[in-house]
Amino acid sequence: MSKTPRTYPRFELARRIEHLIMLLSFGTLGITGLPQKYPSSGISHFIVNLFGGIEGTRSIHHIAATVMMVGTIYHLLVFGYKFYVKRTRLGMLPALQDVRDGLQATLYNLGFAKKRPQMGRYTFEEKLEYWAFVWGTVIMGLTGFMMWNPITTSGILPGEFIPAAKAAHGLEAVLAVLAILIWHFYGVHFKIFNKAMWTGSMTEEEMLHEHPLELADIKAGVADRPVDPIILKKRQRVYFPVAAILTTIMLAGVFGFVNSENTAITTLPVSVERAGIGYDPQTPTPFPTLAPTPTPQPMEAVADLTWSGYIGPVLQEKCSMCHGALGGLSLASYADAMTGGQSGAIILPGDGANSLLVTIQIPGDHLGQLTPDELSLVQEWIDAGAPE
Amino acid sequence: MSKQFQGRSRVWLTTGLLLLGIMIATAATLRQTNLVGASPASSATLSNDECMACHGESGMTLTLESEEILWLSIDANKFTNSVHNLEEVACVDCHTDITAFPHPERSAHSLRELSLELYTSCKECHSEQYDKTLDSMHERTLAGGDTNAAICTDCHNPHTQARMTHPVTGEILLLEKVKIPQTCARCHSTIYETYKQSVHGYALTSKYNQDVPTCIDCHGVHNIGDPRTASYRLESPQICASCHTDSDMMDKYGVSTDVVDTYVADFHGATIELFEKRSPDHDSNKPVCYDCHGIHDIKSPDDPDHGIALKENLLITCQRCHPEADANFPDSWMSHYVPDAEHYPIVFYVDWFYKILIPVVIGGMLLFVISDIVRRIIDKRKGASHS
Repeated sequence: MSKTPRTYPRFELARRIEHLIMLLSFGTLGITGLPQKYPSSGISHFIVNLFGGIEGTRSIHHIAATVMMVGTIYHLLVFGYKFYVKRTRLGMLPALQDVRDGLQATLYNLGFAKKRPQMGRYTFEEKLEYWAFVWGTVIMGLTGFMMWNPITTSGILPGEFIPAAKAAHGLEAVLAVLAILIWHFYGVHFKIFNKAMWTGSMTEEEMLHEHPLELADIKAGVADRPVDPIILKKRQRVYFPVAAILTTIMLAGVFGFVNSENTAITTLPVSVERAGIGYDPQTPTPFPTLAPTPTPQPMEAVADLTWSGYIGPVLQEKCSMCHGALGGLSLASYADAMTGGQSGAIILPGDGANSLLVTIQIPGDHLGQLTPDELSLVQEWIDAGAPE
Repeated sequence: MSKQFQGRSRVWLTTGLLLLGIMIATAATLRQTNLVGASPASSATLSNDECMACHGESGMTLTLESEEILWLSIDANKFTNSVHNLEEVACVDCHTDITAFPHPERSAHSLRELSLELYTSCKECHSEQYDKTLDSMHERTLAGGDTNAAICTDCHNPHTQARMTHPVTGEILLLEKVKIPQTCARCHSTIYETYKQSVHGYALTSKYNQDVPTCIDCHGVHNIGDPRTASYRLESPQICASCHTDSDMMDKYGVSTDVVDTYVADFHGATIELFEKRSPDHDSNKPVCYDCHGIHDIKSPDDPDHGIALKENLLITCQRCHPEADANFPDSWMSHYVPDAEHYPIVFYVDWFYKILIPVVIGGMLLFVISDIVRRIIDKRKGASHS
């Protein structure tokens, strides 16, 4: 018969609930944030569909962010209580020893150190993750505020901070999600399956492996001890009112964060009127009742009767299929056209009627036939001295 | 009543019935020719020369019941150059009810009624285009009772329409392209006036620039839809993208081809992109290209009066949706720039910072985790071999 192994308390219920809330809000933020950073990818469309559209996805993202902010406030209050009222050891503060532990762990893994580092209540892995989370929360909170309240932000800072905030928010999110997937999952799920965040306690063997120095402290009786009830009461009388004021201020801050600006979320509907009047027939032409008959229409006025303004494009259109360089004649440029081809010059400036360009067209059976209108414009152009 | 009379009336009755029968049969046959006889080959009984013998005369008119004048003369010059003549289409291929002289009586009371009677014969040759028009805004308006809605012949005068596309490449010929907005302008004249002043319209109408879009490039041709719908709006960035991501075309004008990528990378474009995928029929208040650049009055961003590259003009644009925006706010939109040290340096350096931070942190974590895994496997094997 084996005795039930002795367990050591690690996380009280409130901390476990806090972790669960952070887990849920962080997970939600990550999932709903992904399609906003990568809108063109297939998985994004899947996620957006899951949440009922981008507006819905964004609302859920905002709700999760609010939950995380409130969670952070709670965490700060608990910290204040432990710091001031209970005077617990600040085991989470980073110290030089953590660098040494990290170094030793790495060296051990590489075979350059004889044994693993012996660590206390919070290992260097846990501290790294905790402080990374703190850094991430600060960055995400600040940049999130800027995106949520762009007009307030640009009232204080240059407008460029908003796209910069967007860039930082997205990239910090990538960093945070990858860190959780690699560091957190490996540390507490794969290396060993650490259930302490759910059960609240660890067995002696687990403690020996993970937190040997803390175990030693507990056994030696030098771990945190309960505070004397009278002193506790006294400190609570100071802390609770202060905490209440701070909580009110912080919650008001969150409320402002979430509610101060609405234009970015519900902007004015775009008016269709700017498109112009749909149906507004030309006057005096009584279209569209004009029957398909040959009402002689004035020739389109050509604004600029020059090679570059009109003639060039027309000849390009009608003639260049053959007269690129073929037949010794190119009509690709003004200079080429003025040079002419095998039959000599085709344009005699000032004399349209005798220019080959016109005479060849007169019978109306040239392969690239100009319309009479075009032809008369070409003639007019040559008569005018064939300006470039 | 006498017997004789009875006999006579029977004869009359028989003759009458017979005549009636013939009339009905003739009418039915005529109706038949109207429907089936429209295929060009079967009804080409009259040559164009025969028609033009009369209709080539100028000044032939007919006054309709509506007191409108119907021109019966065909301008031989224009018809000669029309694509229908070049393709040897006979007059009677379209005017299928005309087989001889005198022509049958027309029932149309007005020019419009006449057009509406005749235009359906276009489908005999142009069924593809005709079928497309059945989905169009014009067809819906026509079906809704507005007889002014455009039909085939309002845009393409069958007697004068020149060849529109290059016979080999199928591209629209320049001179025809120039005419497209003018054609639409017959009904949508105010929009045309606006378009002419736009960066695209000016280039087309004044510079004969072939690269710029005409009406049909955005609205489609034949199956022109309703541009006021949510789906048109959400899909519209793709219309702009079709030219503005084409580097061959944009390089000529020094216009960036990053405009769509930078739009989608930002808040507005990302939302529209996701919105369009999920609910293409719902309105989104996030702007598409034309909400900032204009619809028919698209200006160059550098336009001195209206260009949105100028902060003052951009601010006015922003304020249409963000009425409280102030002078700093327009800078929150990166104006389609990909951030670099010169344009939007803060964004550029934030990107740069994370480009270093992410690989260092994640790489470091991965290296430690891998070394830890390897070490644990080695330790386990050693432990196993010792026991």
